[in-house]
Amino acid sequence: MPMELIILALGFIVGFHMSWNIGANDVANSMAPAVGANAITLRQAIGIAGVLVIIGATFIGSHVTDTIRGGIVSPHILEDHRTAMIGAFSALLSAALWVSFATWKSMPISTTHSIVGSMVGFGLATGGVGVVNWSGFGAVAGSWVISPLFSMTIAFFMFKIIVRFVLARTDSYDTALRLSPLFIGLAVFVIVMSFLFKTPLGTAMAVGDITAMLVASVIGIAGGFGGRNLLGWFLAKKEVFRDPEMVFRTIQIGTACYVALALGANDVANAIGPLALIYSLARTGEVATQVPVPYYLLLYGGVSIAIGIAMGGARVIRTVGSGITTLTNSRGYCVTFGAATTVLLASKLGLPVSTSHAAVGGVIGVGLARGIDTVNFGIVYKIMLYWILTVPAAALTSLIIFNLIQIIL
Amino acid sequence: MRIPFFSMFTRSPFDDLQKHAEKVKECAWAFQQAAECYAAVNCEVFEDHRQQVIRLEHEADDIKRGIRNHMPKNVMLPVEKFQFFRYLREQDSVVDSVQEALNWLSYRPDSGIPDALERDFFLLVDAVVDPIEELSRMVEEARVYLKTFSDKQREDVKSIIKNIRQMEHDADQVERAFFRKVMEMESDPITVIHMIKLAEIVGSIADHAENAGDMMRAMIAR
Repeated sequence: MPMELIILALGFIVGFHMSWNIGANDVANSMAPAVGANAITLRQAIGIAGVLVIIGATFIGSHVTDTIRGGIVSPHILEDHRTAMIGAFSALLSAALWVSFATWKSMPISTTHSIVGSMVGFGLATGGVGVVNWSGFGAVAGSWVISPLFSMTIAFFMFKIIVRFVLARTDSYDTALRLSPLFIGLAVFVIVMSFLFKTPLGTAMAVGDITAMLVASVIGIAGGFGGRNLLGWFLAKKEVFRDPEMVFRTIQIGTACYVALALGANDVANAIGPLALIYSLARTGEVATQVPVPYYLLLYGGVSIAIGIAMGGARVIRTVGSGITTLTNSRGYCVTFGAATTVLLASKLGLPVSTSHAAVGGVIGVGLARGIDTVNFGIVYKIMLYWILTVPAAALTSLIIFNLIQIIL
Repeated sequence: MRIPFFSMFTRSPFDDLQKHAEKVKECAWAFQQAAECYAAVNCEVFEDHRQQVIRLEHEADDIKRGIRNHMPKNVMLPVEKFQFFRYLREQDSVVDSVQEALNWLSYRPDSGIPDALERDFFLLVDAVVDPIEELSRMVEEARVYLKTFSDKQREDVKSIIKNIRQMEHDADQVERAFFRKVMEMESDPITVIHMIKLAEIVGSIADHAENAGDMMRAMIAR
């Protein structure tokens, strides 16, 4: 059937574009602090991020995907095979267009929300208002407020604590080193918890809450002390000057690596999920609430993200890196920690939060703690407007694309 | 590029504040040369020095306006914005006073400084140039403090502020001595008025430097 093949081929192209975008922006971004601080070179960052993203996507990424992310639209709309295929493609294209638009406008939006919005548009086009689960919509809207507020609070207090107990002290470098098990341990704890609860591989292990806490604590404590020894050795070797920021800089390399891995594992679904749906429809013609994602599709997504990092990442890393003087390593640690903790807690509560949203909140928090030369709060309103616009804009675009394709075919 | 927080950073006003402080310092040096030249017999470059100060004042003014104009309402600084602008105003007033002093001198281009006052005049000029030189160092150290939040660094800034205050106090003493000398001098009224007003303007240079220091103290308050 040529129509199916055409849509599948186009789906691969748009899926590549979407993945490329995630790599060039979101992943590159996570590596930037480490490069900006001269902890690793640009080449190393691109290499490390590329490898980790492919590993994350292929091995930790989900082998099944919800046909409709976020469960915001009733799966009834997928009953007709042809409609479902066009719909999945419209959603993917619409999300990709919105993400590209936001990238052009330099606005940090959530790729997940773009896909959710696009699916709503497709739902509206086929089933009308009734198929949309409007209460699920409330959770999405709530995340616009909750995730930045939450990560703002964490980052604020974390920075205050670091100032009070480390930076203000005369022997700040030695104190930073002495307290590093705490900072590393906390980071490791959140990373392990996120791995267990947030990544598809971790969820598949189905570890209970208490067990997870225990495991994360043990690994956190071990990692904290092991990390300090490693840090001491690493910093002694480099004979850097005794700047407490060096301690946080080294921790940041570790967190950046985790972010790359996690983005590969989680965000690959945004690009590959709809593609997997199209693929499954083209092959079997059957639709369930979940469709399998074959290894090679995940690999395709991972490699596309890696290509995005390699091609577009350098520019992002350099731009962020040059501005990194505003966000020194201790501040960067607070932002990352606040964002990661927020995303972890929120997803435990079942809220569809986005890392971009949480990161913006983290910067506000450190800014309020007076840790940044200038924070432009004016732009925050604009950013929030884009978050709110994401869902309706993606929905409208998806609706239009869907109807256009219906007319053409 | 879609970078979560990059758009939230604007150019740091502290870079420009530092640049402004450097201009003020340059201005002080040019002022010193102009003053020496004015006192010397047959110095022909006084006007050149004065023009240089006018040029530097313009440049400092541009920087000041640049800072004010590029600070959207919702920008947050690590210090109170009001104090920051107040500091900038005082630092800028230093240059204004320097320029005013040279303008005042230029109204009597050829009269020079009476011999009896010459030594005290140089003392006064040096006494007000010293605190100005400290200003740029203070801004530099304060920036380090705002980055590191180190208590030791904070003490360093505080000690510079204390220094400036002491220097202003010393300049006051020199100014008073100068007044006394002028009054003791048997001279024509125009020279007396010229000298008295000159000392007042030069003395105000140090006052503005001290005010800047006080504002800096408020800025780094915990």
